[in-house]
Amino acid sequence: METLLLAWRNVWRNRRRTLITILAMSFSLMLIQAFHNLSFGVYAQMVDSGVRSGSGHIAVYRGDYALSRDDRLLWVMDEMGVMGVMGNLQTRITALDGVKAVLPRIYLPALAQSSRESRGILLTGIDPIAENGINPLLKQIDAPALIKSLDGRDALVGSRLLSELKLKVGNKFVVTAQGPEGQLVSELLRIRGLVKSGIREVDGSLVMVGRQRAALMTGQSEAIHELAVILENPDLEEKLLPLIGAMLPADSGLNAVSWELAMANLANAIKLDYASQKFIFLIIVLIVTIGVVNTLLMSVMERIREFGVILAVGASPARLRATVMTEALLLGAVSMLFGNLLGALATWYLVEIGIDLRDFIPETMEFGGVVFDPVMRAAWDINYMLQMSAYVLLLSVIASLYPAAKAARIAPAVAMRHH
Amino acid sequence: MPLISLNNLSKIYPLGNQQIVAVQELDLRIEAGEFAVLAGPSGSGKTTVLNIVGALDTPSTGRVRVDGCDYREMKPKALADFRLRRIGFIFQSYNLIPVLTAAENAEFTLMLQGVAPKARRAKISALFAELGIAGLEERRPNDLSGGQQQRVAIARAIAPEPAVILADEPTANLDSHTAEDLLQLMRRLNREKGTTFLFSSHDPLVIAHAERVISLRDGRLENDIRQEIG
Repeated sequence: METLLLAWRNVWRNRRRTLITILAMSFSLMLIQAFHNLSFGVYAQMVDSGVRSGSGHIAVYRGDYALSRDDRLLWVMDEMGVMGVMGNLQTRITALDGVKAVLPRIYLPALAQSSRESRGILLTGIDPIAENGINPLLKQIDAPALIKSLDGRDALVGSRLLSELKLKVGNKFVVTAQGPEGQLVSELLRIRGLVKSGIREVDGSLVMVGRQRAALMTGQSEAIHELAVILENPDLEEKLLPLIGAMLPADSGLNAVSWELAMANLANAIKLDYASQKFIFLIIVLIVTIGVVNTLLMSVMERIREFGVILAVGASPARLRATVMTEALLLGAVSMLFGNLLGALATWYLVEIGIDLRDFIPETMEFGGVVFDPVMRAAWDINYMLQMSAYVLLLSVIASLYPAAKAARIAPAVAMRHH
Repeated sequence: MPLISLNNLSKIYPLGNQQIVAVQELDLRIEAGEFAVLAGPSGSGKTTVLNIVGALDTPSTGRVRVDGCDYREMKPKALADFRLRRIGFIFQSYNLIPVLTAAENAEFTLMLQGVAPKARRAKISALFAELGIAGLEERRPNDLSGGQQQRVAIARAIAPEPAVILADEPTANLDSHTAEDLLQLMRRLNREKGTTFLFSSHDPLVIAHAERVISLRDGRLENDIRQEIG
């Protein structure tokens, strides 16, 4: 208790220096927490948007479709033996706690032709009713412009593709894909609505139709490539992935993969961005460490004579070392508390208000193949905040090791001659 | 057995290629209850002797025994503990800890000994009254006069009831009136409590109050005189 009291008073000997150090540490902690939480929020939103329009949090594929995108890796739930007493796979996965939707999809590379132009496209067969309200690509489309049936000829077309084909909503166009025997199969479709995702690649190549209409081109009306599982909470992925995997018959060739594998581009882009952030955080931490070492070392150097006296009257070097380390710990604790307060305030602002980039960036922003909201909003990552707080404390103690060792090595007779 | 015994004590400091001889072949014995001063001009070696007796410095050669303990046989931790329990220090510049109050400064050695706060405070209150600084307990050193600070330093030194108090130029920063008061106070503590005092000083006032004047010159014993004090 006495050591704590003495250390606390020592910390405030030079108020200005202590305040500057605490402010530097607190602001650094705030910056690290706030920026991480901002990235955490933006990435969460991007992942959410990405998984809803893409693979889902968990996807069921046949073989290595996740990596190869080989359109021959089609599968039909009945034929894969996944029908059972509990109903078909889609129903059984939907029944799991935490599963919001299970979306069967089929993806076919094809050629779209109007009377004036032709373009390579990705014909995506969806379950329109199930996707509505989940898939962000459908959110901007008015209800009358949405496709309704699984096997209808109505199609949603990417906005850029529409203009490149020189077509309008209501026009018809032909889609040609390769059939099961290698023959060309064509379908006449009618444009019912426009998809404006903001992603150049999507808007320039997407044609969405009912799942059965697309599957008919493969010769099997129930064939799909993907069962995209959307979860209520992304944190449930770790728990549900093995459960879903266990539902798949061992000899079916089906496997359940996480979105990180299914959407490797997005996952890698996020990982890369986090890595560069960590480097910046490391620099901040290094600067703070130097600041703490400097403060403590100056504080020790100023008190050499006093330390000599304390040793002379009988304190052990270990006690002196403990006093300096306690001072560092207090410096770290105050900085941690203040930094957390600032970090929480900054995060709260970024969660509630966010950073509005609409005035600066006129077009939609894309990252890792996913559009993200121009109003960037943070999300609370309490674990990370606590982890960073602990680092600040640990860092303070580590930074005090050298000054504390220096204080403990002082020879009292020499120190008392020090001015 | 004498309280302090120095046998053939020498201390040599290396200074670049040279060697500075601070103390040479000194033999000295001080009995318990003495009020003695190591006198001599600057550089005579009196502070070096005091530091060696106080286990703050080690001799180059020779043997030091204080209160029955041979320093050569003691490890640094044991020496620190010995200083804490058996030796009191009074310094020229008082050397109080500025962030502690007068009472906390005086309690400091007791705190290091692990004495309970209540017992510490009671002892210090009594000592403050005895030393004429009652009522100043909560003041910080900066709010005290030189004389008051030195009294607090004396309280810190005598609180653990050490075998000997070593006082290095304790009056050097005080006016003669305050110095006289403090010397009388220390003399009284010496008489009433039997505390042994060993000063290092060239202040004639301190020398005048000492029962025994041990004069050093160039690190050697020049004179060892006992004198009657009125």
